[in-house]
Amino acid sequence: MLAEPVARDIAEAQAERLRAAWATPKGWRYVTAVNNTEVGKWYCLTALVFMLLAGVMALIIRLQLAVPENDLVSADRFNQLFTMHGSAMMFLFAVPMFEAISILLLPGMLGARDMPFPRLSAFGYWCFLIGGIFVIGSIFFNVAPRAGWFMYPPLATMDEGPGSDIWLLGLSFIEVASIAAAVELIVGTLKCRPPGMRVNIMPLYAWYVLVVGGMILFAFPPLIAGDFLFELERSFDWPFFDPTRGGDPMLWQHLFWIFGHPEVYIIFLPSIAIAAMVVPTVARRPMFGYSWIVLSAVGTGFLSFGLWVHHMFTTGLPSISLGFFSAASEAVVIPTGIQIFAFLATLLVGRVRMTLPMLWISGALAIFTMGGLTGVMLALAPFDFQAHDTYFIVAHLHYTLFGGMVFPVIAGVYYFFPFIQKRLMSERLGRWAFWLTFSGFNLCFLPMHLTGLLGMPRRVYTYPTGLGWDWLNLISTVGAFVIAAGFSVFVWDLIRPKHRQPQIPRNPWDAGTLEWTHDVPEEAWGVRSIPHVSTRYPLWDEPQMLDRIDAGRYYLPDAQEGKRETLVTSVIDAVPVQVQRVTGPTWITLWAAGFTGGAFIFPTFHWYPPAILCGVLAICCIIGWLWTATAQVPEADSKDAGLGLSLPTYAAGPASVGWWAMWITMLGDATAFASLVFGFFFYWTASPDFPPAGALHPEARLVGLAALAFAANWALTVGARWLNRRSHVGGARLCLIVAPLAAAGGATALVWSVLSLDPTSHVYPAIHWALAVWVAVHAGAGVIMQFYCLAGSIFGKLTPRYDADIWNVSLFWHFVTLSALVTCAVLGLAPEAL
Amino acid sequence: MTEGNKTRREDQEEFAEARASLMKITLGPLIWALHFVCCYGVVAVTCAKGWDYGTVRAGLLIFSAGALGGIAVVGWAAWRQWDVSHTADPVNRLGRAEDRYHFLGHAAFLLSIISAIGVVFVTLPLVLIGGCQ
Repeated sequence: MLAEPVARDIAEAQAERLRAAWATPKGWRYVTAVNNTEVGKWYCLTALVFMLLAGVMALIIRLQLAVPENDLVSADRFNQLFTMHGSAMMFLFAVPMFEAISILLLPGMLGARDMPFPRLSAFGYWCFLIGGIFVIGSIFFNVAPRAGWFMYPPLATMDEGPGSDIWLLGLSFIEVASIAAAVELIVGTLKCRPPGMRVNIMPLYAWYVLVVGGMILFAFPPLIAGDFLFELERSFDWPFFDPTRGGDPMLWQHLFWIFGHPEVYIIFLPSIAIAAMVVPTVARRPMFGYSWIVLSAVGTGFLSFGLWVHHMFTTGLPSISLGFFSAASEAVVIPTGIQIFAFLATLLVGRVRMTLPMLWISGALAIFTMGGLTGVMLALAPFDFQAHDTYFIVAHLHYTLFGGMVFPVIAGVYYFFPFIQKRLMSERLGRWAFWLTFSGFNLCFLPMHLTGLLGMPRRVYTYPTGLGWDWLNLISTVGAFVIAAGFSVFVWDLIRPKHRQPQIPRNPWDAGTLEWTHDVPEEAWGVRSIPHVSTRYPLWDEPQMLDRIDAGRYYLPDAQEGKRETLVTSVIDAVPVQVQRVTGPTWITLWAAGFTGGAFIFPTFHWYPPAILCGVLAICCIIGWLWTATAQVPEADSKDAGLGLSLPTYAAGPASVGWWAMWITMLGDATAFASLVFGFFFYWTASPDFPPAGALHPEARLVGLAALAFAANWALTVGARWLNRRSHVGGARLCLIVAPLAAAGGATALVWSVLSLDPTSHVYPAIHWALAVWVAVHAGAGVIMQFYCLAGSIFGKLTPRYDADIWNVSLFWHFVTLSALVTCAVLGLAPEAL
Repeated sequence: MTEGNKTRREDQEEFAEARASLMKITLGPLIWALHFVCCYGVVAVTCAKGWDYGTVRAGLLIFSAGALGGIAVVGWAAWRQWDVSHTADPVNRLGRAEDRYHFLGHAAFLLSIISAIGVVFVTLPLVLIGGCQ
């Protein structure tokens, strides 16, 4: 069937329909585009601009430190600069850049038309843009956060001015976007692979995306929980981190670093994943030790969660506790080393061409190895005691992040630029940029090891002369400007007009993976027809594949109904299971992001009424978006997907991508909730007066009532799904009317049970309040979802046959009911047990 | 039905997607994570609340031995699934069901080795450090 030629006129008509369905909006409507190629480009460019701004801040920092007793900037301005430099590089560049690049490249590598939820990507991007401008813009008004990028209390909680709130609320907003992207990328990797691409032959990049997406789900929520507590302290004086009222600043450090250390690997792994795509291409042979790379990615993902206390070696924890983290920090070197050796082995056995991307990868490996070696030193607690908070740390972290992230990403830009822009970047400028950046980097950061060992602390805005630091600092400053020169060359090469360049070859590096089947000149449809894949490097192993894709001989060569569609396959073996309709251009995501931004930004200035209004409008926008675009009743149950395959057009429950997205989101949400419960027990461990003598406890009977109400709500919600599927629509609707009442009753009872407790008096009532508020807010969201399903049932969007919405809502309630019951147990039983 | 057909059907059954799970390859690291959290959590509470460190240490050492035993079981099962001595194919680069099956075994096997090393590393402080100082 594959070999059958498609008649020319049919193929052209198909291509024309596909082109129309996937057309990118023109003119001012361009901003409504949701296609991964457009959103991915905006995302990358925005992250690049934030990176350059944070780089300029670094240059000012280096200028201030160039000579002793300098007064170029004030101490306060300097504090804002280093806080924003770190925060912006981490939250506005490194993590978003991973998401940006993955959104841009992953569908191409998987031969998918787009990500499963294009509007979610667009929403995430607009949230990122608004939040990023808000956070980074604060420095122009002299109100930027200034307590260091990790915002340690009590300095950050007691800091006057809106700086800390800008950090907390602005970055929480961006973290929401990060989690949205993680959900998108995980579901995309698991469910949108081309037929036949079993897990053992998917591109290594996809493995890394899967691991990193999973890590984001477990690493970001503890920080969101920490932000929640932190902001409650800043806004309402609930003393979570105030030791005079039973709080403990160490809880923030734990929550921050449970996020902060995995985050280093969240940045590093996807960048090294780019190396895993470049290395086989330049070596002209398959990756040596595919399973070993998978081992290394998964192993690093796990072990990186056992390292967080190595940022807290000097906080006075028992030495045996330090021992556990020191040991795990040394253990993580093994999987990290394995992937480097796998790359080297591939290069050794291959016939390497030293292309520009490979040059940058070589620089990355050299610099990262240096950073890794100082990491091995710092993982030893006694050495860390000496080097802690000195420039030795600054040198170490820049070696790991430049080598582990910046260099591989630039290699990726050179490597994938023909795929992204259908042009080539300049070989000559690229080599200039590399040597300037590489030498500038070492000139800047190598001396800092010595500066640190000579005792210069981090974050000081100036220093006296005569301590042996003068000339080292001067060299570092010169190096910083050489790096800046290298970046200028790189950025110029990136943005300079390339119209006069002749059309590039389609696969300029002669690579073997699917993204290089892209169309030159560009087509917005992603791939003309979705191929069947049977090897790891299909373009090397099946030379006829490209012609067949172009001729539309594989799956989904047409868009008969004029709708955007992509193929959904099974998780392990990529067996085609569904034709998924994906969403197209829209304004609604911009509105939703704008109002969500308002809901996060207004509270920074304690303007609560507009914040609440924005929150309500954001919810309305999101409901409108879901109602009009997701889980639509299709015009036919199944359709021809090409090659004689007929596939369903609608899926509900575990077969649908929406159910997976809900599952993954709720896993992250459950992690945040677990962090709050961890906080409760942390206070009990760390403090002798928890609960304080004579403290009031939550009203046990009300807590019991809440537990019953939540259990009833759960049974009714699941019952509604069950009845609906068995065509008892009336019974299902009745359940969906009673269930929200039960949920609202449960939430009211829970809040009522803590109403007599004063959350500002001590951390014990405050943490009860925090748990009750958390559950009540989730119950509110769940009630909205139940009414959404009820409305769906009444207006024909939710039927016994097409019931995806109620599956997702009952999944949401599985998680929320569990957290409600845990909360009830903590509130009702813990006072007895402690 | 010929015997050849029967074997093929059994093969298909053995390698069926329904019997495979991506989560299985993380069993080893999950044991490591559980062991790590228990060691850290129990010792932190012991030191904060002044419980008897000697007893807790003995208990955790036994627990560590159990964790290593668990990883050994996972690793052995994974080794059997990889089945490299039988297939003589350590790479499994093709897109057939049995390649995917052996590959998942290989990945799980390598991950159980890393997990075992991790458990040994994390157990060392229990062996070497005698108290909460």
